[in-house]
Amino acid sequence: MNNTELGDAGAHEADNPSVPAVQLTGISKRFGAVVACDSVDLALQRGRLHGLLGENGAGKSTLMKMLIGLVLPDSGTISIDGAAQTIHDPRTASALSIGMVHQHFSLVDALTVWENVALGDTGRLDPNATRGRIGEIAEQYGLAIEPDRRVGDLTAGLRQRVEIIKCLRRDPSIVIFDEPTSVLTPEESEQLFESLRHVVVAESRAVVLVSHKLDEVLHATDDITIMRQGRVVDQRRSVDAAAPSLARAMVGREVSLRSERAALGIHRLDDTDLDSDLTETDTGLDGNGLDGNGLDGNGLDGNGLDGNGLDGDGLDGDGLDGDGLDGDGLDGDGLDGNGLDGNGLDDTGLDGNGLDGNGLDGNDLREGSGATGDTSAPGDRDTSGTVPAVATTAPPVLRIEAAVAHGTDGLVALDEFSLEMHAGEIVGVAGVEGNGQRELSDVLSSLLVLSSGTVTVDGTPVPTGKAGAMARAGIGVIPEDRHDSGLVLDMTVAENLVLVDQSRAATRGLIDQKRLNAFAVEMIEQFNIACSGPNAPMWSVSGGNQQRVVLARELSQEPKILVAANPTRGLDIGAIEYTTRRLETAAASGVAVLLISSELEEILELSDRIIVMHTGRIAGTMARAEANFETLGLCMGGAAT
Amino acid sequence: MRAVGGAGTAVGSVARPLRMARGTRLSGWVALYTMSILAALVLSGILVEATGSDWRPVVSALLDGSVRRPGRWGETLATAAPLLVVALGTVISSKAGLVNIGQEGQLYVGAAIGAYFGFLIGGPGPVNVALILIVGAAGGGLWAGIAAGLRYWRGVPEVLSTLLLVTVGGQAVAYGLRWEWLLLAPEGRRGNRNQVSEQLATDNRLPRPDLFGNELPLTVFFSVVLTVIVAFALSRTVWGFRLRMLGRNPRAAQRSGVSETRYGATALMLSGAFAGLAGAAMLTGGGFAFGNYQFVPGFSANIGWTGLLVALVAYEKPLAAIPVAVVFAGLRTGSNFVGSTGVESRITDVISGLLVLALLVPAAVMFLRDRRRARAAATERV
Repeated sequence: MNNTELGDAGAHEADNPSVPAVQLTGISKRFGAVVACDSVDLALQRGRLHGLLGENGAGKSTLMKMLIGLVLPDSGTISIDGAAQTIHDPRTASALSIGMVHQHFSLVDALTVWENVALGDTGRLDPNATRGRIGEIAEQYGLAIEPDRRVGDLTAGLRQRVEIIKCLRRDPSIVIFDEPTSVLTPEESEQLFESLRHVVVAESRAVVLVSHKLDEVLHATDDITIMRQGRVVDQRRSVDAAAPSLARAMVGREVSLRSERAALGIHRLDDTDLDSDLTETDTGLDGNGLDGNGLDGNGLDGNGLDGNGLDGDGLDGDGLDGDGLDGDGLDGDGLDGNGLDGNGLDDTGLDGNGLDGNGLDGNDLREGSGATGDTSAPGDRDTSGTVPAVATTAPPVLRIEAAVAHGTDGLVALDEFSLEMHAGEIVGVAGVEGNGQRELSDVLSSLLVLSSGTVTVDGTPVPTGKAGAMARAGIGVIPEDRHDSGLVLDMTVAENLVLVDQSRAATRGLIDQKRLNAFAVEMIEQFNIACSGPNAPMWSVSGGNQQRVVLARELSQEPKILVAANPTRGLDIGAIEYTTRRLETAAASGVAVLLISSELEEILELSDRIIVMHTGRIAGTMARAEANFETLGLCMGGAAT
Repeated sequence: MRAVGGAGTAVGSVARPLRMARGTRLSGWVALYTMSILAALVLSGILVEATGSDWRPVVSALLDGSVRRPGRWGETLATAAPLLVVALGTVISSKAGLVNIGQEGQLYVGAAIGAYFGFLIGGPGPVNVALILIVGAAGGGLWAGIAAGLRYWRGVPEVLSTLLLVTVGGQAVAYGLRWEWLLLAPEGRRGNRNQVSEQLATDNRLPRPDLFGNELPLTVFFSVVLTVIVAFALSRTVWGFRLRMLGRNPRAAQRSGVSETRYGATALMLSGAFAGLAGAAMLTGGGFAFGNYQFVPGFSANIGWTGLLVALVAYEKPLAAIPVAVVFAGLRTGSNFVGSTGVESRITDVISGLLVLALLVPAAVMFLRDRRRARAAATERV
């Protein structure tokens, strides 16, 4: 069935659901050692909006790039309207009537809207025809825009409109939207989804929405495919899906758990367990309340619900008003009961603050809303058991107040971000990448200037963006990408060890080679850095050992605060263990550790307190005891904002 | 609101000059150089033969002009000295990750300003020589300072500004050579030329002691001493350490307290100062090729451009710049003699061009190979 009438909307075989508009079968793609896509199957139907959900690096974008010919698959087949196709390049894709709206705009600022839309056309330029076409599309989809405005003067939302018009102008029958809302305000997103709906239903196109935002996928789409580490881990209809289970599927939990965390009551849930209940939340659930399953041994074993937790009050009829603590709610993940209480899936219920250590006392449950996280309550510490009590009365060692910063793209990356840290605590920063974590770390590395707000270390304000100011104030940084600001690869190991502070190897402005060597040898021994010697060039040292050099340097400065951004990324097991241990030791010795990580595993393992960043703000704060994959995942997806 | 080390940084790191490739063994370099120079010689030979001449006398003339004839190696070394000084400045700015390609202009402007103050003040001999050298260096530094200001206040890539300032400098100095109150020598002391400065008084010149029948201006010795100082400053001082950090990883430097503006601007101005110093040294050091103690139009005589090439070929290594400067100087003095063999002058230009290319090709090959590897590594990481 070869549909040769491509590009003609009328010829779409919309009525025949048995022939998907796009059928990907066994698509695989490797980049070197990394498997970006691992035999992915995906079918897109006309007239349906398909959500493609996954974390950064899950393979979503690679998959879509194969569909529009930017990347060639290693194996597998792509069928368009039932006919197998090889898509070598974007031109082939466009001939097959596939269009994509890219996450990063490909617009020319200096040109006007219509000029940008006409860009890439061949033949004679017809300004009026282009303007007319823009007007038609604008009217048809509610994408109003002035064709003669300069693109550089437009807001992000309007620029995206231009991108969308550019794409729709060719009347593609298959449209891919790559993270379309990442640059939009909520209102703009709303408008976008309205027009998307129109594009899909009224004209029976097949549309893919690539995203890592749970709620928007849940709301806007008809079908959902979840990818993780290059594989499709789940496919379902949106009406059958619920945010918590999607969050879990997206983040993944096939990871060995440490005993401490097992003690916190975090263990495996079956994906299907929660679905039926949760989707019914709005209607008041099934009213089972505390049925047998709910309080079975499984549910109440951990420390989580020990004596003081579920006291008599808590379990009275009012407190557990049916929906709140049904069977699944209190099993293993028990303490996330906040997520599943009466308010289950509405916004206030999922702010992740739900149940603090004292969580399950009668009051909280009776009110049926998540208690706002009183994270400093002594109760937390009791439940976790392993965390040393932190004197919260002491002044914070680091205080960030109402920080506003803009990313390199000029968009707000930190939005009135405030944080206080005390000596000796490990604060985990969770969140989907690109929600301000990078900028937070950059600000604390003197690499980014705040537009407003302050950073105070030990009561002294530190100017932002002034070379070395943060380091001098006592902030050590293990950067996300050690090659970016952590190391100078063309210098030696010894030189890299004194990168921040040369005074320990210099007298009167001259480098003392002997002292430098002695210091380097000491560090190499102490931190077990495998290299051919102090004078080995940094690039000759393996990644794990490069990380040790960074660790050695930053820790030997005896920082008050240590920012560790994805400190174990790309390391092997041994190096991960080592880095983790070092961070714990540092915290134990009184360093305030800010652990920014995209690995929830790592966050849950190390943190005393966890904050979740979403769009440059703190979307949730929770004590270690309250946090688990699900609460974090929901918060990360912005479900609580 | 602005990221520190923004657009300019990106340009700097992309346009990073050629440098010693990682982990390449010396034998590899020797082989590459041998091959490329041989290729250039063979090509030159073919070219000479094709135009109806014989290649043997050409080679012979090259050697005669650069070393064999009496007084010629002194001439070669006298030419190498300013080349070396220019190259040292280039090494400093390259270490800081900056691409200064305006040495020709900085040298020209520096020499002109040095000449102006030298004639204006005209103090006793040695003092005035020192003054000319210092003012010349300051002039070159300030000229490069314009580019530094544009770079750090307005984000103009220094690659562009330094290059364009060469033209601006040329015009400005030409203006100076038109007016007696600036540089132009008074009527009657211009000889048969109409745009020339006065000649430096004999006690305002650097001595040219005679060594084995070769005149060696003191600039030769000074430049070698300067090389050692620069090599030491870059490798052994905290300042050099921080400068290298800035050049190799501006973000790590920013985090570690190396202000890009302060260190970068200093490096660029120092680079210009070295070029200006080279110009002043050409003026006071004399030599027929350098205006004979007079400031004349075209005084810079491509020393700035060639000095830049010397730094490129020496891979940012000050000590390596010494032999490279001598080789480039030899090509220059030698090719002056090739004309006498009856080979067309355009052919000799092509030959010296080929030989310069031969010296640059190995560096370019290594650079491309490095980049390909880096790219391959980067792709694998994705």
